[in-house]
Amino acid sequence: MTTDGSALMIGAVAYSPNVVPIWEGIKDYFEDSAAPIDFVLFSNYERQVDALLAGQIDIAWNTNVAWVRSQRATGGDAVALAMRDTDLTFTTMIVGRRGSGLDGLESLRGRRVALGSRDSGQARILPLYFLERAGIGTDDISLVLFDSDVGKHGDTGQSELEALRAVIDDRVDAAALGVNTWQALTAAGDATVADLEVVWESERYNHCNFTALPSLDPDRSGPWVAHLLAMDWDNPDHRRILELEGLRSWKPAQLEGYRSLIEAMEAQGVADRW
Amino acid sequence: MSLSLALQLVEAVTPAPVGTTTLVAVGGPDDVAVAQRWCDATGNHLLSVHPDAVEILRGRLADPIQALPADRRPGHRLWIYTNFHCNLACDYCCVGSSPTAAPRIIGVPEFAYLVTEAVTAGVRELYVTGGEPFMLLDLDERLSIAARALPTTVLTNAMTWNGARRARLEALPRHGLTLQISLDSATPELHDRHRGPGSFARARAGIETAIELGFRVRVAATLGADAGRAEDELIELFDKLGLAPDQQVIRRVAQQGAANQGLAVSRESLIPEVCITASGVYWHPVAATDPAMKVADRWAPLQPVIESIRDEYRMYRIRGEITASTFPCA
Repeated sequence: MTTDGSALMIGAVAYSPNVVPIWEGIKDYFEDSAAPIDFVLFSNYERQVDALLAGQIDIAWNTNVAWVRSQRATGGDAVALAMRDTDLTFTTMIVGRRGSGLDGLESLRGRRVALGSRDSGQARILPLYFLERAGIGTDDISLVLFDSDVGKHGDTGQSELEALRAVIDDRVDAAALGVNTWQALTAAGDATVADLEVVWESERYNHCNFTALPSLDPDRSGPWVAHLLAMDWDNPDHRRILELEGLRSWKPAQLEGYRSLIEAMEAQGVADRW
Repeated sequence: MSLSLALQLVEAVTPAPVGTTTLVAVGGPDDVAVAQRWCDATGNHLLSVHPDAVEILRGRLADPIQALPADRRPGHRLWIYTNFHCNLACDYCCVGSSPTAAPRIIGVPEFAYLVTEAVTAGVRELYVTGGEPFMLLDLDERLSIAARALPTTVLTNAMTWNGARRARLEALPRHGLTLQISLDSATPELHDRHRGPGSFARARAGIETAIELGFRVRVAATLGADAGRAEDELIELFDKLGLAPDQQVIRRVAQQGAANQGLAVSRESLIPEVCITASGVYWHPVAATDPAMKVADRWAPLQPVIESIRDEYRMYRIRGEITASTFPCA
């Protein structure tokens, strides 16, 4: 165990008890590398971004919303180091009951639509943005909102499942889900969701990334990123961690996919903290 | 039904801490298949199936079998009880063999088929035991078949090699065959106390005969609570006989068969070594007459039987780790 202060300090949010084994596993993986780490867990992303800005942690494992806030707070100077393969292909899906006749965003006009937590990019902020961009304002639909686990930025998926329950119980006509939640529901095959259908799927956008301040020495972050990218799905020890964290491989950060969320947060006047 | 199950799986299993188990209600075999596919795709483990629920372990555990040395993994060794009758009636015999025990013989044709099945199933070593295998006049036919197929060890008290049996012994192959001879102490008193008067001298003579005839010899001792310093003395004797350490076996009496004292054993506490008798398949040769250790009535085809034993062992180990991780004292 590295305790001499040379370890990079990583911040993550404890959205689930499994965050502990994930980060214990990643810490073990880095132990004999050129860039050993330690980690600290936060109860919400706002506190984590504050800690990053205050220099209390070196790297923050941020949601897309936390990334945009870090960018705002640093005048665009925050650095994205790496992300999951699944962060590059994230989408939001609008799901309804099969046979409801819904098809596309326009068909939602006048209907009851369930959205998730107000700090969730995939379940609230981006669905509202995509609807607005299609000419459908909040006065054109009947919104039913599920705000659960605020501060976790939708990581638990709880608000999405509550929204889906509302569809099944016929309390709403459609619900917004992150593609990760839809994939979890259909993991055993599409037959398991035969009673549902995808009304609309968004363009791809980016989700999480490892965020650092520009003051982090590249001689420290470089070896760390290189070792992170070397995690191997075919190695059973690595795979256990990768499966829990929801990826097959780590990727260098790409920033183009954050444009929609930046515009959405600007247009909706999303505050810097809740 | 499937949607409800998918929601249950996502809501109940995904947030559960790794290493804990969750019961998810199912309505039948189709739901069990859905749950299995879901677990495979999401990195979880379907632990057991109950009449109206499946038990799912959150996350994956390393395969307990891979954690074992290769030669200890279930299916590496196959034990075959060719018979149960014996010229001796040892008071700690784990299967209660004696001159009056029902022989329960595996005949030569069946033995040959079993060896073929063993090879197909990936078995790497054969162990032939009894009873006293050399009570069978045609044991040499079985041993020749076995040694041609796989490295084979035959367990014996080395006391029956007279007359025709001696001639058949001399004709046995030296390559691929090991004679494992029982000797419980370095001096007659302890050995004869459990195995009968005069048995020590004849076993010692048998060891020397086997060595003189050029066989690979291993010596095995079974020690009870009255063994005292027997183990140290035995090791000294084995070394004097020129036996390498890996040709010396010392084990404790198990509370099985004729033994009313000794180590308690169970399927949960023993790494399985697949064992075939005329009555069926057993978890381990030390308990080859214990109904609780019986795995199957039939051994053919052998591969699925070995797989079922491996699966059961995995289950015990995984459950053991769960129990260990959830046993706070205060």
